Amino acid sequence: MEIKHTALAGTLESSDIQFTLSKGDSGVEINLDSQVEKQFGKQIRKVITDLLAEYGIENVKVRAVDKGALDCTIKARLIAAIQRATDTKNQPNWEVLG
Amino acid sequence: METTINLKDPYYFKQWQQLIQSEGLFIENLDDITETIGIYENDKLIATGSYYENVLKYLAIDPNYQGGNTFNKLVSTLINQLATDNIFHIFVFTKPQYMQSFEYLGFNVIAQNDFSALLETGDYSIDQYIEELPKVEGKKISAIVMNANPFTLGHRYLIEQASQNSDFVYVFVVNQDVSLFKMSERMQLIKEGTKDLTNIKVVNGGQYMVSFVTFPSYFIKSRTDVIDYQTALDAQVFKRIAQALHITKRFVGDEPYSQTTEIYNQTMQKVLPPEVELEILDRKEVGQDIISATKVRQAISDNDLATVKKYVPETTYTFIKENIQTLLRRIHDGN
Amino acid sequence: MERLRRTMMFVPGNNPAMIKDAGIYGADSIMFDLEDSVSLTEKDTARMLVFEALQTVDYGKSELVVRINGLDTEMGKADIYAMVKAGVEVIRLPKTETADDVVETEKVIEEAEKFFGIEVGRTHMMAAIESAEGVLNAPAIAKASDRLIGIALGAEDYVTNMKTHRYPDGAELSFARNMILHGARAAGIAAFDTVYSDVDNTEGFNHEVEIIHELGFDGKSVINPRQIPLVNAIYAPSEKEIRNAKDVLNAIEEAHKKGSGVISLRGKMVDKPVVARAERTMALAKASHLVDEEGNIYAE
Repeated sequence: MEIKHTALAGTLESSDIQFTLSKGDSGVEINLDSQVEKQFGKQIRKVITDLLAEYGIENVKVRAVDKGALDCTIKARLIAAIQRATDTKNQPNWEVLG
Repeated sequence: METTINLKDPYYFKQWQQLIQSEGLFIENLDDITETIGIYENDKLIATGSYYENVLKYLAIDPNYQGGNTFNKLVSTLINQLATDNIFHIFVFTKPQYMQSFEYLGFNVIAQNDFSALLETGDYSIDQYIEELPKVEGKKISAIVMNANPFTLGHRYLIEQASQNSDFVYVFVVNQDVSLFKMSERMQLIKEGTKDLTNIKVVNGGQYMVSFVTFPSYFIKSRTDVIDYQTALDAQVFKRIAQALHITKRFVGDEPYSQTTEIYNQTMQKVLPPEVELEILDRKEVGQDIISATKVRQAISDNDLATVKKYVPETTYTFIKENIQTLLRRIHDGN
Repeated sequence: MERLRRTMMFVPGNNPAMIKDAGIYGADSIMFDLEDSVSLTEKDTARMLVFEALQTVDYGKSELVVRINGLDTEMGKADIYAMVKAGVEVIRLPKTETADDVVETEKVIEEAEKFFGIEVGRTHMMAAIESAEGVLNAPAIAKASDRLIGIALGAEDYVTNMKTHRYPDGAELSFARNMILHGARAAGIAAFDTVYSDVDNTEGFNHEVEIIHELGFDGKSVINPRQIPLVNAIYAPSEKEIRNAKDVLNAIEEAHKKGSGVISLRGKMVDKPVVARAERTMALAKASHLVDEEGNIYAE
């Protein structure tokens, strides 16, 4: 799947995470900003890379500002950002979400 | 609850004005606001923020709600609102004491000084801008920043001087479309007018070489500090880019009659050295007459091609002659 | 036995902090909202937040409800599919005007269940009634589908439709409340009252809960966790009610032991509604921690 244009999802409020996805040409580049980077950085990155892989997105710039989001929130916000960046807002990909 | 505020409605304007002023901010010009957001609690306005294009402005929070989640909510709401307009790269000018709060929300500092800080966030950054610029090798790399609206013999002289005294010269073109000549036209005229010089690179100044007078100053208390803050921040942004490109000298043209330019040059003299040297060159004169783009624009406006010809290189003259009707229409529409 | 639904707590669907913590306040039902509390630009991301939370966060015993956007919006269908897939217990329709609205929504729910290979009928529904038209159709709406577990009054839109406002005495809602209650009771499903938005006004809130408790509503919609214990206190049965309920249940047991088909208490016949009420009273007493698991009153 291709990123069609830059898209943003999520907020900077407590327990949330904000994603900005934009076109890239050198694989998945993640720029993560998190207060819990030390303890959870690896886990957060894994959630992100796994989900991007499920969507078959190979080239993308990911900017994530984490405010202590649970894994399910990270997934939800990233899915929303992917749907926005690929113009599929109201057509969820049920194969991936299964 | 978050909502947009209609500042044209006197009731909401008054509410907004009170909060802005109680936080020590100054309302400059309402035309410089694209959209304003308010956060309400029980019908009371407790926080507000605005933006103009991609610059956040007039952020104010009721003291009873500071230090909590309200700031995050406010900035977040503004960012989300901008995203719906497909704007993702965002700047904020703020007091140094608020720098950390923005950094906490993922903003990165571009430049800072005693008066102010400039930060950015989103899908683009100054580092990416630097990365995208052409890189050159050389011991003496220098730079010139110009608007070139349009490219005159004065600009040509400046570039020539720099070219002779450097291994390489970056010509940064200020990217502002308020100019009579469009960005692409200004770039084109500089390139055409300097074709014979092999050691220069004409590059787009992007979002980082803008005219410092456009920096908002609603958060600066003393009006006399404003120009200091604006010029200092501008010089610091330049220095950051210059250092990344190994630029060791900046050439500027002298403007004997402009006090702003005088202050700007003084500020640069304070900020740039020792890493970057500043060299002020005398203005090129035609007879007794100093060349300036302002005079050229005036002559265009007067449809006086003979005067235009005196001040500009052949390439610029040809362009103006061929496009005089378009340019006159732009002047007419602009007024 | 019928489930207790004293409180249905509204949780904005685009607020991860509130979604995360929604389970800790002891609400009988939690209603995640994808509709009015979510701005148009955030509908898609709220849907995914609730979708993910429903499958991962532990909400204990609370019944999980999601208020979707109506099928007349571009979000409606995707909302239903996502919530059915996430396994929500109840889908709440907003702004229900007619029985057809329920039928139409049920069709899409069934379609989604089949699409995902989920047992047809597993997803329950409730309908919010928020207009004069809806109130007048309440009895038909309540009987429109076997999936319905209840109907609710949504007063904010209703009073606007009626060209009035909310008032402390609740006179402006009395017809709607009675219609909805009768519709629900005739269909044998639950009736929920509307929200009370002035969170700081405990007195006003209590007054309103007393009114709907007297009328016979199953419970109240709440927008702040602080309102939950207030509702529970008013719905807690009195000691006298508990004693009476215990007597009824004991009488049933006695009758069973004797093998008698007729149950009587103090010379009066105990019929089905009385039994049902006694069971509900005991359930309320247990939920309010007034009796232990065996039904013994703690004070004794």
